[in-house]
Amino acid sequence: MNLGAFILKNALRNTRRALLCVLSVAACLFLFVSLLVCLRELTVPPEDIGASLRIAVRNKVSLTVQLPARQGPIIARVPGVAAVTPFSWFGGQFGTEEGTPFAQFAVDPAKFAAMFPDMRLPADQLANWIATRTGCIVGRDLAEKKNFKIGSRITLRGSVWPCDLELIVSGIYDYEIDSTSLFFDHKYLDEATGNTGTVGAWWVLAENAEAVPGIIDRINAAFANTSAEVRAETENAFRMSFVSMLGDIATLIGAICTVVVFTLGIVTASTMSMAVRERFPELAILKAMGFRTRELWAFILAESFLLAALGAVLGIGFAIAFYRSPPVVSAMSIYFPVFEISPRIMARAAIVAAGLGIVASLAPAIQVARLTVVDGLRTLD
Amino acid sequence: MTLPFSYNARNVVVRWRSSAATVLIIALVVAVCLILQAMAQGIVSSTSATGDPANVIIVRKGSTAESSSIVTRTQARRIQFLPQVQRDERGDPISSAEVVVLANLRRRGGAGEANVSLRGISPAGRALRPQVRLAEGRWFVPGKREVVVSRRLAPRFEGLGLNERFKSGAHSLAVVGIFDAVGTAFESEIWLDANEARSLFDREQFSSVIVRVPSPADQQAMKKSLESDKQLRLLALPEPEYYAKLTKSAGPIRFLGYFLAATLSVGAVFAAMNAMYAIVGRRTREVGTLRILGYPRRIIMLGFLMEGGLLALAGGALGCALAAPFNWVTTSTISFDSFSEIVFKFHITPWLIIQALAFSFAIGVAGSFLPALRVSRLPVIAAVKAV
Amino acid sequence: MASSDPIIRLKELTKIYQQGEIRVTALDGIDLDIAAGEFVALMGPSGSGKSTLLHIVAGIDRPTRGECWVGDIEVSRLNESQLAEWRNHTIGFIFQTFNLIPVLTAFENVELPLLLTGLAPRRRRELVQTALDIVGLSDRSRHLPRQMSGGQEQRVAIARAIVTDPPILVADEPTGNLDAHSAATVMETLQTLNGSAGKTIVMVTHDPRAASFGSRIIHLEKGELIRESATPPGGGTPA
Repeated sequence: MNLGAFILKNALRNTRRALLCVLSVAACLFLFVSLLVCLRELTVPPEDIGASLRIAVRNKVSLTVQLPARQGPIIARVPGVAAVTPFSWFGGQFGTEEGTPFAQFAVDPAKFAAMFPDMRLPADQLANWIATRTGCIVGRDLAEKKNFKIGSRITLRGSVWPCDLELIVSGIYDYEIDSTSLFFDHKYLDEATGNTGTVGAWWVLAENAEAVPGIIDRINAAFANTSAEVRAETENAFRMSFVSMLGDIATLIGAICTVVVFTLGIVTASTMSMAVRERFPELAILKAMGFRTRELWAFILAESFLLAALGAVLGIGFAIAFYRSPPVVSAMSIYFPVFEISPRIMARAAIVAAGLGIVASLAPAIQVARLTVVDGLRTLD
Repeated sequence: MTLPFSYNARNVVVRWRSSAATVLIIALVVAVCLILQAMAQGIVSSTSATGDPANVIIVRKGSTAESSSIVTRTQARRIQFLPQVQRDERGDPISSAEVVVLANLRRRGGAGEANVSLRGISPAGRALRPQVRLAEGRWFVPGKREVVVSRRLAPRFEGLGLNERFKSGAHSLAVVGIFDAVGTAFESEIWLDANEARSLFDREQFSSVIVRVPSPADQQAMKKSLESDKQLRLLALPEPEYYAKLTKSAGPIRFLGYFLAATLSVGAVFAAMNAMYAIVGRRTREVGTLRILGYPRRIIMLGFLMEGGLLALAGGALGCALAAPFNWVTTSTISFDSFSEIVFKFHITPWLIIQALAFSFAIGVAGSFLPALRVSRLPVIAAVKAV
Repeated sequence: MASSDPIIRLKELTKIYQQGEIRVTALDGIDLDIAAGEFVALMGPSGSGKSTLLHIVAGIDRPTRGECWVGDIEVSRLNESQLAEWRNHTIGFIFQTFNLIPVLTAFENVELPLLLTGLAPRRRRELVQTALDIVGLSDRSRHLPRQMSGGQEQRVAIARAIVTDPPILVADEPTGNLDAHSAATVMETLQTLNGSAGKTIVMVTHDPRAASFGSRIIHLEKGELIRESATPPGGGTPA
């Protein structure tokens, strides 16, 4: 036997209690991981290579106010601009579902592929889309969920725009960041609405990253003091502005995380206290045999560490399995198209678990340090 | 050598401590879940009290919010002169054609930006909403780029205080009044003149029309005449009914609340189980004695279930007490209906408290079931002999 | 009996417990020398202070006044950590309730004190084996405490006490929880350890038959030594 075996045997001697403790730690860590992913999805925009080159231009009043289409050519002439496409939210209803079941944007198909280099769309499908006036491309996840295939017809009933669209699926794209949207030709939108001469926003691609700040300044200046002042900003800044709109929700979720961790601490600490108190006589004997307080503390620490670690493995493991299971993925996709437990989040959960193991051993360690052999032996009878 | 009294005393403290941990755990779980439900309830309450049953709101069919709805000027005129619409003493229809624009404004304290609803109203707009009362300053004068701001919104955004100015797009607007609209969706709005809003924000059309139609029969008739004309694509709803539906944002929060309740309760049940096993284990001999005295198993079992339930109920009550201060907190988030900022208060209703207490009691009973079963199943002789 | 060189020397040893208002004098100025190789039985009624005396000698309790020398070390001057190390190689404990760790086998229980020594696993195994041989339980090494009789459990506890080869064994009512037959076996084991292995043994007991195995019986009452009687050599083995 060695010390490790001794610790293991001790930790598992009250199997039921150890199991209950591990399970409650697992439940809380599962929740902790879920909340962290939630928080990341809400507050950190996904990174991709092209994002640093892309600029979003919207009406200065707010995104919901349209921009005149005549701005397009002016933006295209700004030095350093590689491409410009309109980017208009359609927000149509599909089938019998209420509200907008998935995002739909009107863009310029010819400029689109260059703008999103990380988006993978076979060249023939792209060519087909550009050639088809009523064509559209859909994300892989959306296609799978709604059973869209190339050639499928999609009818969208306008809620923002007073018109309906009859679209044909020209291609299916793969894109890590967003695989649940539909893109179609802005010319078709103009046609359907009777050419309102407006767009929702502009998406601009810079030739290189150094040019971006200059382009932003020039675009903002170009429309100052016109009836449609604009706000140009990097795509990442644009995405971050949505985080700010969420208001106190992110803070609230952060606060809940703290409470969950705190609860976890109480669960493990109380279990360890119970385990140690039950073993007072034994600890007294070990002390009598010559074990010092710090060695006994090492036992307790190792034990609580072990319980926390088992809980962490179980909780994080369950979370990974849970959020990958198809029914959960489809249920979650309403709010979170991507719900991935990143290595970083796993590491954070593991650190919390490790910290927990240490904290939970403190109170029992103090009890043991205070315990005199004579008192410990007295509790024998 | 006999054990000193302190041993027994210490035992009591030990029991108290392990119970206290459980009570605290349950309290935290209940508090977190209650706060989330109170938030969802707050969102619901913030819009559900809005609107007058005598008013009918007309928006474009299929639009999810007033800000994305379009009612043309021709349509608006046609609606105003429908026979069902009540007239004032001068014979004019009591109606307001309105424009809702979202303006991106900066939060105070450098906490980013958010969309705020600007509502342009016609002169009758105020009379149609008696819930909205001027609290400070004066009403706006059309054509002078003046607005009035809700009392809740004013402290949250830069330039929205009384006598302050804010910029939206190229225009600078002056805040000349603060209004109170307790418990209605208007608490998250800025009001100005409808025609002025249309010119400032370059809007050809209106967003909605609100008309006074006091009789339900007239409302039905009006609804029929408007909605039967497929060309119009308009939707007419009694105002309260329209606002009651704008609670989409409450969905995810409520979902998060239930999700938390489900997972955390698993953890809490396990923790309660641990404590109850310890409590039951210490009282094995007591149970043996009770059995000898003739108490049947189910009574003993019931006793422990109640004890666990009550312990957890204490936790639940503590949790409610922890959550209670939130009832007065005002917060804000984005509305998933209108895409704009909604300001609301956490709202802890008696019904939510009853749910929270029942939830905690259930945790306690669930947690004590197995321990109670174990001790009540012990043979009498083993129970009596147990140390 | 080496009367020349006392291994334990108590000088004016006093222990007072303060419990709230009440002062209890457990030991009242005890002077006592115990020579190496002696087998001392401490007797006396409850509250006479015999257990306190044993605890102080074993270094798990501290005197209020006076000195407790074991060899050339004044035990009450050591700090907690030094005491722990000292106990590990100087004192072997035997308790009334055996106090084996329930989840460990006989072998593992005996090995426990050796985990502190840093000896190689092979050497540890040899020592444990020897200790179990001495108490006559080598065939029970894989058994858990609950699979053994009380007498066997106590002998495992004795093996645990001697595995680090300490010069002194302290025993607190070692036969208190045993039937007459098991008690005799345990006492014989102790006597062998005293005789052939030369361990100094200090034992607290209520049982005159157990006491008769000792080479010296000391009676305490109200914290004072009142009487001392030597048993005849070879005494305590009543036929």
